[in-house]
Amino acid sequence: MTLQTRGLRKAFGGVVAIDGADVEFQPGRVNALIGPNGSGKTTFFNCVTGMIKPDAGQVTYGGKDLTGRAPHVVARAGVGRTFQLCRVFPRLTAVDNVLAAVRPGGLLHGLRSAHRRDERERALGWLTRLGIEHLADAEARNMSWGQQKLLELAGVLMAEPDTILLDEPAGGVNPALLDRIGTLVRELNAEGRTFVIVEHNMDLVMSISDHIVVFDRGRPIAAGPPAEIRADERVLGAYLGV
Amino acid sequence: MPSASSRYLPLGAGVLLIAAILVFPSLAPNPYVLSSGVIVLNWAVLATSWNFVGGFTGYISLGHGALAGLGGYATGLLITKADLPSFVALVAAALLVAALAVPIGFAALRVRGASFVIVSIALVLILLLVFQSWSSVTGGSRGLVVPRPFPGMLRPEHHRVFFFLYGGLLLLALATWWLLDRSRFGMGLKAIREDEDKAESLGTPTFAYKLTVFVVSAAFTALAGGLYALWFGDLDPVFQFSVLTGSYIVLMALLGGVRNLFGPVLGAIVVGLALEYFKVEFGSTPLHLVTTGLLLGLVVMFMPDGVIPSLAALVQRLRNREQSSIREVTAADLAEQRRREREAANS
Ligand SMILES: Nc1ncnc2c1ncn2[C@@H]1O[C@H](COP(=O)(O)OP(=O)(O)OP(=O)(O)O)[C@@H](O)[C@H]1O
Ligand SMILES: [Mg+2]
Repeated sequence: MTLQTRGLRKAFGGVVAIDGADVEFQPGRVNALIGPNGSGKTTFFNCVTGMIKPDAGQVTYGGKDLTGRAPHVVARAGVGRTFQLCRVFPRLTAVDNVLAAVRPGGLLHGLRSAHRRDERERALGWLTRLGIEHLADAEARNMSWGQQKLLELAGVLMAEPDTILLDEPAGGVNPALLDRIGTLVRELNAEGRTFVIVEHNMDLVMSISDHIVVFDRGRPIAAGPPAEIRADERVLGAYLGV
Repeated sequence: MPSASSRYLPLGAGVLLIAAILVFPSLAPNPYVLSSGVIVLNWAVLATSWNFVGGFTGYISLGHGALAGLGGYATGLLITKADLPSFVALVAAALLVAALAVPIGFAALRVRGASFVIVSIALVLILLLVFQSWSSVTGGSRGLVVPRPFPGMLRPEHHRVFFFLYGGLLLLALATWWLLDRSRFGMGLKAIREDEDKAESLGTPTFAYKLTVFVVSAAFTALAGGLYALWFGDLDPVFQFSVLTGSYIVLMALLGGVRNLFGPVLGAIVVGLALEYFKVEFGSTPLHLVTTGLLLGLVVMFMPDGVIPSLAALVQRLRNREQSSIREVTAADLAEQRRREREAANS
């Protein structure tokens, strides 16, 4: 499903963070959203996922209007996200962090054990896939930064979103983990998940994305495949400061 | 997997608690001790009820005393004004307070942290004013006399019956808390406690969760308050709508440990007995206030997890000194990663 914004705008006092952004992210792709510090990428994610309400404009997902809806509504529509400053539940174990993403269907469903075997297996499956299953019973606060980033992603995946927004997945992680994250994104994409990735690491962006949108001062200034973006002079001017 | 000790410990503690409830009345040497037992059980139910909100969601309410007061007055008024049988009135009152908890929660649960604490205090003060000034219905500051449910029953027998009623209510509240604790719903609530926005972003309708558990908490609190009205037979707004009551409840829960099923019960026994002792030794003096404030401060500063968890952590440390820590696992993990990187670089 296509994630689309029309005339999206958000100002904080005098600072215009998003300035009438028309953006479209096609399904099935690894999309990237790049731009200089403070160009509004995180604010864009926050507006799309309902964490903050835009001042104007529209957010639609698969044609469905999600503008200003609560974050859990957006999540249930199939859009998951991670946070720039990685957020996990610090005093829950890793496996509970993942199980917290299970959404009970109704009241009786909600009273069932959170540790039912099938769901625990599924949660452990994601931890295994991300290579942190040996930490399943460790509290998240005792894990390293990189492990917490993987854990956050495991939780998002448990909720089975069709589209996943990642805010700087490579921020502060070591090169080995960086490779692992890149590979993982491509694999998960091959399995049918759409990605929108905000990232400053250009090697990673250029190597994993199909489509890149470039933000400058709260609005897109270019969009296209990596090769095209790399050659675009406006991008070089705005982003690389050349 | 939950370890064997974490699975059987609650069971053992539960059996112990049931046994204690069953034998206490026959061991109590006089009616005064028995009545102290009733008071401590009342605190235990209140603290456990409070823990539905405080323990799961991390919202610290100082207003639960007022919810108990509402339960008490509703029970009393349903008996005196609507002629309902005592225990029908008790249940009806709890349902009424649960219904009232919806708009209260709707207003209060919109704000977090210190703001929520302040809103919960405001609730108490507003209700105190209402019940004091609306004297045609509530009896105002003269108080409300609630007819006894068992007329003609002698004092000691009366205490004994209420001790068991409170015991049953406590077990019901504990069973409900236990059920939620292990449920998906409970996992969502704990996620709210840890990081509300994050929980919301994973698809948890956090407001509906908070409101639901607040209503459950209010219903149990009202049952305790209603039972108190039936037992004590006399309600005074100053005591029913007091921030001090709410503070004692919070102190008990925090002292015993809010993440533990039996924490609030343990806290209620310790603080409840201390309160009774102070009352006998010193009467009701400002010393109460000072001691409560001091204890609350000490617990929050030095044992934010409560007494049970702090002791459990100590036992755990003493028992598995040799067990490797998570940080060591992390270090091993890193070493393995470096080794693989080196290999990759060499090849
Ligand atoms: N909650 C907020 N309150 C006030 N100003 C904000 C807030 N969030 C963002 N801003 C401002 O909005 C602008 C865009 O910020 P945003 O975090 O969206 O940028 P970004 O592209 O994600 O930057 P970075 O690459 O550094 O993460 C900045 O000027 C920032 O200071
Ligand atoms: Mg950002």
